Amino acid sequence: MQSANLDELKKDSRSLELNTLSLWISKLGIFIVVGIFLIVGPLVSAKFYTLANLTTILQTVAILGIVAVGVAFVTYSGHYADLSVPSVMAFAGIITVATLHYGIAISLLLGILAGLSIGIINGFVVGVYKANPIIWTLAVEYVLNGLMRWIWGANQIYPDLHGNNGRAASSFVNLARQYVGPIPLVFILLFCAVIIGQLILSKTRFGRRLKVVGSSAEVAKFSGINVPLTIGIAFLISAFAASIGGIFLTSLVKLGVYSNGTGYDFNAVTAVVVGGVSLAGGRGNIVGVLGGTLLLGILVNVLNLIGVSQLYQTIVEGVIFIIVVGVNQKSLRKLGRDDA
Amino acid sequence: MKTVLEMKQVSKKFPGTYAVKTIDFDVFAGEVHALLGENGAGKSTLMKVIAGYFNDYTGEILVNGKTVQLHSPAMAKANGIQMIYQELSLAKPISIAENLLAGRLPTKGTWLLDRKTLIHESKKLLGRVGLGHIDPLVAVEEISQSEAELVEIAKALGNNPSILVMDEPTSALSKEEVDRLFGIINVLKKQGIGIVYISHHLPEISKIADRVTVMRDGEKVATKDITDVTTEALVEMMIGRAAGEMYRKRSSSIKEDVKLEVKKLSRRGFFHNIDFHVRRGEILGICGLSGAGRSELARSLVGIDPIDGGEIHLDGTEIQFRSMNRALAYGLAYLSESRKEQGLALRLSVGENILSASISRYSPKDGKEIVKKLIKDLQVNPAEDHRMIATLSGGNQQKVLLAKWMATEPKVLILDEPTRGVDIGSKMVIHQAVMEMANRGYSVILITSDLPELAGLSDRVIIMRNGHFIGEIDRVDCTEEELLLAANGKGEYVNAIRESR
Repeated sequence: MQSANLDELKKDSRSLELNTLSLWISKLGIFIVVGIFLIVGPLVSAKFYTLANLTTILQTVAILGIVAVGVAFVTYSGHYADLSVPSVMAFAGIITVATLHYGIAISLLLGILAGLSIGIINGFVVGVYKANPIIWTLAVEYVLNGLMRWIWGANQIYPDLHGNNGRAASSFVNLARQYVGPIPLVFILLFCAVIIGQLILSKTRFGRRLKVVGSSAEVAKFSGINVPLTIGIAFLISAFAASIGGIFLTSLVKLGVYSNGTGYDFNAVTAVVVGGVSLAGGRGNIVGVLGGTLLLGILVNVLNLIGVSQLYQTIVEGVIFIIVVGVNQKSLRKLGRDDA
Repeated sequence: MKTVLEMKQVSKKFPGTYAVKTIDFDVFAGEVHALLGENGAGKSTLMKVIAGYFNDYTGEILVNGKTVQLHSPAMAKANGIQMIYQELSLAKPISIAENLLAGRLPTKGTWLLDRKTLIHESKKLLGRVGLGHIDPLVAVEEISQSEAELVEIAKALGNNPSILVMDEPTSALSKEEVDRLFGIINVLKKQGIGIVYISHHLPEISKIADRVTVMRDGEKVATKDITDVTTEALVEMMIGRAAGEMYRKRSSSIKEDVKLEVKKLSRRGFFHNIDFHVRRGEILGICGLSGAGRSELARSLVGIDPIDGGEIHLDGTEIQFRSMNRALAYGLAYLSESRKEQGLALRLSVGENILSASISRYSPKDGKEIVKKLIKDLQVNPAEDHRMIATLSGGNQQKVLLAKWMATEPKVLILDEPTRGVDIGSKMVIHQAVMEMANRGYSVILITSDLPELAGLSDRVIIMRNGHFIGEIDRVDCTEEELLLAANGKGEYVNAIRESR
């Protein structure tokens, strides 16, 4: 009797269709917005499409982009954001400058290692001890910031004053001004970061583990995935990217100081979230983060071109962040997945 | 005798099926009316109708002789119906008093809390459940589970209910605590409150209930006075005769070699000195009530929880591990009982979920192949690996969960409630897959409260009760009646083993 009904029973009558258009928009919709801005841009100012202006746009956000790629891994892992980013940037920069007398290569290495050490601490505490990532990285931000002011006495460290290695100092200062052919080195670095980040996320085993962890840490645990290690690596990647960004920023401003990375935390999170990486974790991609970064850059540029002051720019940025997070949250709630 | 609740021809339909079909059910003032049935029999749906969870039931409900509409929980409460759930509804960090009077805190003037009345009122309520000695200003998290349960009852009493519904109230209580609860229930009976009592523990029901209604497949089997029925008769009514037919007897595929052997395994407070073995190609059932320590045993076997003592041998050599990662590498896999929290990542696709426990095992290309094969073998519908898992039905999600563990190619697969809450079609597919795995030489440990499933699939069943191993039944003799009796600590198998030890 049951076998007669079996075919009937196996059929699932529920509606199973997902809107493919909305899926695509959620994936790469950010570039549509970037495109709109690129169309609107020249209407606002004739200067918009000059090569100089486009270079300016990229220059203002290249370092931010590198940092945001790193933060995206933390967000993707379901841990919202790494707020220790500004201090890590400053720290990596200061250490690089302070060790310039060992030669440029060694000082760069030490700078990156300094940043990574903070990433290891963050990853360990959040991964193993399940500390709240926001509170913990915020605390680390403050402690590290204070440590730097204490050790270096709130002094600015100038590469050319430090040690006598004039050649190392000048090659360090040139780092952010270096061109490879016609293209600034920092642009190449940004695109490398995006491509490598995207490959790590979508092609490696770590990336697939991170996706499960970000989607549900409990499920990951019950799937035999080493959850603390996976989270730890995400924070390590964030610290690595912040170190690279911090070193370039230090080179750009020609001095190492505790306040170097100020503002990069919120800007990076904005770029990540505007770029479509879900605050709930497990969803989004690094190419989208590039889109979010570019959008911020173009926005600031357009505001500059029409003469809006810095003061109002932060307001606009904050409002955009609120709108994006709000829309994101609402669509999650609609799908019944509001676990952010 | 006064009838406080009367349900006439009540039905509740879910898409495609009746969860509750034309039920007549009534409760007298001052009686305990027990509601019995296996998982999926429709008990909890009926309770939800009473509690006002549905606004689309059909039939008539009378409270104290008046026809009422129970279309929302608030309407149920207004009509004097109070539910006491298994998961306590108390806010743990705040005081007992504030919990008891939540939503109607006494005030002085408009803004100020009237502490004196608060304490006085809550003391009165606590007194009714035998907790008069407890300080009502203590936070709920500081009292024991059983006391919290009594506070929960006190909270319900605060709304002056005429009907109290208790869902498995004793599942987390010790014997002494159960006796205390029964004492209080008897007092409530004298006060004229009608109590609906749901439980799987048959001995308890014969002790506390006045009448019992048995449900099966959404329909009422019978209502009897408790003095007119034996435990055996109740078991027979719950199971019915048709249930066994679902399982075609399979030719056993057991090989001689022991795959997994567990010696004196203990985790303090959960299970103690457990010994058992599973052979290659064998399906070993574990029978027991919820709280018997079955899931806890499984969790320790795969390294999610620690063990305090004992040995685990795989293929004759002792293995030790402290993480599920390692256990999985040894070939021990665990399909956990909670699909949504621990089993499937609802934001990932079907394919990603299937591969989530074997990320290091397959290359992307092999992974795709294996996903395709498993989707086909388990008849996952729709058969698309990119579809978000959340858009699948419960039964198909459960198939994907099984596929996830099959993809790890385990030597020993532990299944914890593999078909809970799934439709019959999916259930049959899952059973077929489990039997095929055994035939191919996998060892399977099956934990399930679904007794027909346990009896139909297992080659051998071990019985656990309160964290102890209390007996073993060979398949030849294994009937649902025997299993249900054994789970309740009764029956010849339990006794035989006890005497021989």
